[in-house]
Amino acid sequence: MMFYSEAVDFELIYVIVNFGMGSKVLQKAKKHGITGGTVFLGRGTVKSHVLEFLGITDERKEIVVMAADKKTADEVAEFLNEHFHFEKPHHGIAFTMPVCDIIGSTAYKHDEIHTEGSGGKVMYNLVVTVVDRGKGEDVVEASRRAGAKGATIVNARGSGIHETSKVFSMEIEPEKEVVFILVKNDITEAVVASIREHLNIDQPGKGIIFVQSVNKTYGLHE
Amino acid sequence: MNVILDKLKEVLYTVLPITVIVLILHFTLTPLETHLILKFLIGTFLIIIGLSIFLLGVDLGITPIGTAIGSAITKTNRILVVVIVGLLLGFFISAAEPDLHILAGQVDMVTSGHVPKTAIVVVVSVGLGVMIALGLARIVYNVSLRVVFTVMYLIVFILALFASPAFLAISFDACGATTGALTVPFILALALGVSMLKKDSEASERDSFGLVGIASIGAILGVLIMDISSKADEITGALEHHALASESIIGPFIEEVPKITLEVFMALLPILLTLLIFQIFSSGFSRRAFRKVLMGLIFAFVGLVLFLDGVNAGFMDVGSIVGYRVAMLDSKAYILTIGFILGFVTVLAEPAVHVLMHQIEDATSGYIKRGLVMIALSLGIGVAVGLSVLRVLVPGIQLWHYLLPSYIIAIALMYFVPELFIGIAFDSGGVASGPMTATFILAFIQGAAEAVEGANVLVDGFGMIAMVASMPLIALQILGLIYKVKSRREA
Repeated sequence: MMFYSEAVDFELIYVIVNFGMGSKVLQKAKKHGITGGTVFLGRGTVKSHVLEFLGITDERKEIVVMAADKKTADEVAEFLNEHFHFEKPHHGIAFTMPVCDIIGSTAYKHDEIHTEGSGGKVMYNLVVTVVDRGKGEDVVEASRRAGAKGATIVNARGSGIHETSKVFSMEIEPEKEVVFILVKNDITEAVVASIREHLNIDQPGKGIIFVQSVNKTYGLHE
Repeated sequence: MNVILDKLKEVLYTVLPITVIVLILHFTLTPLETHLILKFLIGTFLIIIGLSIFLLGVDLGITPIGTAIGSAITKTNRILVVVIVGLLLGFFISAAEPDLHILAGQVDMVTSGHVPKTAIVVVVSVGLGVMIALGLARIVYNVSLRVVFTVMYLIVFILALFASPAFLAISFDACGATTGALTVPFILALALGVSMLKKDSEASERDSFGLVGIASIGAILGVLIMDISSKADEITGALEHHALASESIIGPFIEEVPKITLEVFMALLPILLTLLIFQIFSSGFSRRAFRKVLMGLIFAFVGLVLFLDGVNAGFMDVGSIVGYRVAMLDSKAYILTIGFILGFVTVLAEPAVHVLMHQIEDATSGYIKRGLVMIALSLGIGVAVGLSVLRVLVPGIQLWHYLLPSYIIAIALMYFVPELFIGIAFDSGGVASGPMTATFILAFIQGAAEAVEGANVLVDGFGMIAMVASMPLIALQILGLIYKVKSRREA
């Protein structure tokens, strides 16, 4: 097993593309060192007076989320940009953001969560857990036991290196659920530990957790 | 304009195959008269434009209305509300379906009035209403689709033992006829609206499907009960065969418009009324959303009129003439192969198929790929049409020789397939038998029957839709099996 120094920074790549492109983005990214990703459906807005008059105000999008260390993330983002031409209109957008920690990815073994590392006064963390379809409820339950107040579940699909298969020539990505949980940073560790334990995240293919720092939150009640 | 272009592109890909096949036939086996081929091309154009607009309308109007109503009745937390709304909606949607009126009219004619048209429409609609209520209650009470379909088809089977063979065909056709282009998206959305409230996401996903399948059993039961109680055993009358000699190219398109407009308006009326009642008596949509939904209904209306005009005026004659001429060829292998190919490509252009694909993608976040479902569906319909042609060629084959084994296989497969695929498979049965099949393929089969000595245009004509409605059950469940095996963990 490889040892990564504490200095490794993680980044999360978000790619938002037209419906149907998500799998292609994920496939391309995997060829450049990404070990897995999650795709979920979203809706994008349309800016056109004619269409707005006709009542057509949104179109279907796919959001691809992939995590990697900073170096790989930069390379992949650059490569994706070249390949999918995000600079042209209607070709989608991509952005990256820092992550405090990744748990459950076999490529990046990490045990401590050092939320202070990102500097500044961080009050809240966003704990994002990606698990198999149907397990989202368990994640929420586990996080509640550790003191989390609420969660949002989004349907998604995606695959890591352990789980892809083909039907004829089409790749199938298993169904997933993404659970977003906002927690105060003093209980982040407890929440993550609880999810980790209840869902066996550390076994390959059981899911992945990543923690992001949040600068501001609104609407959260103690 | 990206959205509209994307829709056009999506539709283009699905309508082009059938156009290409017919053009190939035109230049090889069955040269068609110039006015026919011109009408066909105009029809194709109308179908592409109409289908695109219609699908936009479904996205904007019909699906949101269905989903909102499904959610609203479930949130009342009273089973009585769910059942009554299901009953009423099912009844009126079915009673307004133009395809059902055409079928009922034909039955009235061939039984020389023994089974009056109104009676059939009412009975089938009641059947549909009851089944929709039952289907909604199933979602709320978490009853497995396996149980529902096994019990229901057992009842159908027992009733079928007492029914006359001719009516058996009609009853299974009715199941295809009631689930038309407008009904299917609405029923799909209704199921989605109820099931999306579920906390268990797996259940919520798989329960978005199956309601169309359950609803179409209502039609089968309705006609079977009708037959047993009326004792109209024999088919006595004959169907008038419309021979179109008109060489006018634009004429037929204009002639069809008023009739189709009225039909589509009638079919849309229950949905529009439901929307208004919903808007007045419940919290309803916000003003912005309401405007959007109304716009959607207008789109759906205009799109469907254009689409049906293209199909009826442009495709029908071509279908029947191609069927007749290919069947006249010496080798019967031609008509069998061409039947299969036409079935394979026609279903792609079926409006409700697009809607189902869309919902599958949404419900599973793209896990089930559109292309694969399309291939499975196309194979199923290809086989269905091929078998129907075979039945025209070989007089000894009865419809039940096909239906009985295929339903037994379909029911048996249910016990090996993930529940999500059961719902999708049984829904796609109703979805595949839409206006494209009911006109173009039916005309093709009837044309073939005319050319074959000893084949009865009427008897062989009835039953084709039944085949189209039954084969996807097997095809898509097999796809489900493949998915199940393939997505097992390799770790």
